[in-house]
Amino acid sequence: MASVRGIQEGIVNSQIWKSVFRVGIPNTNRKRVLAVLGSLILHLHPVKVRRSGVRMSYTWCMGGTSFFLFLVETVTGLLLMFYYRPTIEYAFTDIMDLREQAPFGIMREMHRWGAHAMVIAVWLHMFRVFMTGSYKPPREFNWNVGVILLVLTLLLSFTGYLLPWDQLAIWAITVGSSMARATPGAGNEGPMSGLIKLGDIRLIHAGDDARFGLIGGRSIGAATLLRFYVLHCVAIPLVAGFLMAIHFWRVRKDGGISGPL
Amino acid sequence: MTFFKDFINVLSAASISFLLLSSTFGCIIYFCLLDGRLRSKGGAAFVVLGVIYFVAGIFIRPLLYLAVAYVLILFGLSNLGPRLWDKKTGKWLLIFGMLGFFVSFFDPNFYLIAAKPDNVPIGAMIFLLGIFTWIALRKAYLNDKQIEAGGIPWEKTETSEKLFVWPDLVYTEMLCMILLTIVMIVWSVGLRAPLEEAANPTSSPNPAKAPWYFLGLQEMLVYFDPWLAGVVLPGLIIVGLMAIPYIDTNPKGAGYFTFIERKWELGIFLYGFLVLWSFLIITGTFLRGPNWNFFGPYEYWDPNKLVPLVNIDLSELVWVQWLGQPLPKLWPIREMFGIILVVGYMSLPPLLAAGPFRRFYLKMGAPRFYVGAFLFLVMMALPIKMVLRWLFNLKYIVHIGELFFNV
Amino acid sequence: MSEEITPYQVVPKTPLAGSAAADIREQGEMTRRSFPFVITAAWLALTAALGGLASVLGRFMFPNVLFEPVQKFKAGFVADYAVGEVDERWKDKFGIWLVRTEETVYALISVCTHLGCTPNWLPTQNKFKCPCHGSGYYKSGVNFEGPTPRPLERAKISIDPSDGQIVVDKSKQFHQERGEWTDPESFIKL
Repeated sequence: MASVRGIQEGIVNSQIWKSVFRVGIPNTNRKRVLAVLGSLILHLHPVKVRRSGVRMSYTWCMGGTSFFLFLVETVTGLLLMFYYRPTIEYAFTDIMDLREQAPFGIMREMHRWGAHAMVIAVWLHMFRVFMTGSYKPPREFNWNVGVILLVLTLLLSFTGYLLPWDQLAIWAITVGSSMARATPGAGNEGPMSGLIKLGDIRLIHAGDDARFGLIGGRSIGAATLLRFYVLHCVAIPLVAGFLMAIHFWRVRKDGGISGPL
Repeated sequence: MTFFKDFINVLSAASISFLLLSSTFGCIIYFCLLDGRLRSKGGAAFVVLGVIYFVAGIFIRPLLYLAVAYVLILFGLSNLGPRLWDKKTGKWLLIFGMLGFFVSFFDPNFYLIAAKPDNVPIGAMIFLLGIFTWIALRKAYLNDKQIEAGGIPWEKTETSEKLFVWPDLVYTEMLCMILLTIVMIVWSVGLRAPLEEAANPTSSPNPAKAPWYFLGLQEMLVYFDPWLAGVVLPGLIIVGLMAIPYIDTNPKGAGYFTFIERKWELGIFLYGFLVLWSFLIITGTFLRGPNWNFFGPYEYWDPNKLVPLVNIDLSELVWVQWLGQPLPKLWPIREMFGIILVVGYMSLPPLLAAGPFRRFYLKMGAPRFYVGAFLFLVMMALPIKMVLRWLFNLKYIVHIGELFFNV
Repeated sequence: MSEEITPYQVVPKTPLAGSAAADIREQGEMTRRSFPFVITAAWLALTAALGGLASVLGRFMFPNVLFEPVQKFKAGFVADYAVGEVDERWKDKFGIWLVRTEETVYALISVCTHLGCTPNWLPTQNKFKCPCHGSGYYKSGVNFEGPTPRPLERAKISIDPSDGQIVVDKSKQFHQERGEWTDPESFIKL
């Protein structure tokens, strides 16, 4: 036993270890404070939290779960991008290869199940925040950021749904995107859209309405696949990441992990 | 066995309306359970609801079963009383639920639907939602008992006590991450992600479903036109969620579980979240089969099931069937009654402010009250339209095909 | 000097004689009056610039050229189609049902007007039925059940004068609820 301890101390007291972590083993209160303050990742936390903030039965850990699943999605998604080409010719076969040929071919599984789990986790997080009344002042703004993040989570999942380019994908997106056709005043089948005309010519038609802008064509096709790919891999994650930073920052600024103020 | 299955099927067909209507009274149920007997107000509401069910049941067969089930469940719950929030009861409820779920897997039709890879997370979600709703209400119940006795909720007893993030929080988080990683790996190895045949734009699968989290919206599409169900209502859901902190001015109940201090907020939110959102998703996933017909949980998804869907508009109902006249040509006259109904419904807030909800109006102030009442009425429009459809086969209240404007 | 200096006021450093001082004072007044105007104009310009930028970005998402399948095709001769039948031979390739009745031939576009699924023709029940939400249409394309708000669309159809074949052009659609099915281009009169 003594030798194990000796090795541990040798590592912790080495110059390399100290240069990275600065603090040794956080066994005193002073070192515990320094461990949190001195680390970029850990300093997201305050130094001390309310007891209820640590209790799983109170927080359900759903916010953290959502964030962790977002990281899982980022990593697995990045790995999938190495093999996936967003074109009608290749998309489906690439997905087939990903499950049949790629080594450890569970990345797609993990990505898809992670996406489902993330949606559920975000919902349960919202549910808990509501049930504990943690949107009340001064946390109103952060609740709003959270609602936008919920919408972005759904959009991320929705745009990703098309990418395998199988029957499940295109019909789900057909049904989902057809609703945009009915946007009042902006979709070619929306109320009031028929009133926007120049003489006898309707200005809002299938070739320029809200759905057209969303899917880049009059029906789901190559342009849609590319569009959703870019939204799914770059645009929405960037926005979501930025809002997450604000969300976490405001959690601390608005009084810490929820709990009575 | 077949009788049992038929009974379950009819029951589940009726259970939509059951949940929609009775959960409106969810907050009252809670009060009944609080001291184990029907309090006067809640009791009256239950009796009224029961009578409505029975009277309607005379005309609509499934509602009769519903009425029986309703009385049975009510009887069971009110006998359980506060014991519902015991850990032991919770455990048994969960065990029974899971047992029922897994025994059902022996039914081939149930297995076919529930074991679809994409439906697995939704099955898990049902249990998670049940468990977490129970936990939240149990904690609220325990806190409320404290508050009623003049004490403070337990979260408040711990505010002064602070823990170091290292190690208490950091280690909790790490444990969560490790557990989640294990769950994700086991899940991914054990269950393949679904992949159907390559996309074919000329043949829709039957049924064609949106991603599961949008199935609540797809269910709304049965009752409303896309411009409402797909654009306006989802937009208002987001706006409504964002408006919550600004409408709710109740200073109590910030940061701890409670029910009695926030019964209106919780009642409305739980109704929207559990019934209009989650339950409709579950319906859309498990109970909507080929041609978007309704199927009971043990029913075979027969693509040739014939369900007459001949619905009529309000204008036709009034002009042709009630007044015995041909439909007027001009739409403002033809849709007169529908427009009056819709406008009347949406102009309820001032009446509410002057009448039964004056207390809220005074407490919240005009802007908050009107925005809140508007959002609430929009939310309630969905169950109202559903009930109208079931009772009268009503398709549109206002049908102005000329402008694509249908409500 | 005891008078207060506001940032918008030009205050002469040295006392100037008569008219020059009045001139500068006048200029100062002008500046003070025009300040709200300038700031409003600046904000308007900024808003306009941002709005312009946003609309340019928005317009960018609406391509000018589409790479879509051919919209126009020849569908053989009228005699190829049986009277009273819904013909499905062009459904997979072009998304069109050709229907021949006693007096007319018309082309229905096989896209459900509810949410864009492809309905199925059920000969036994004599109707089109959409698998997504159960919308049903008569053989004529008029809706009678389910959530759909309007009938199926018909495509432009004509007879090629050179070889007598049917020509279907999907790029032009006819809506019944707008009264366009009476348009002579929407059917072939036999």
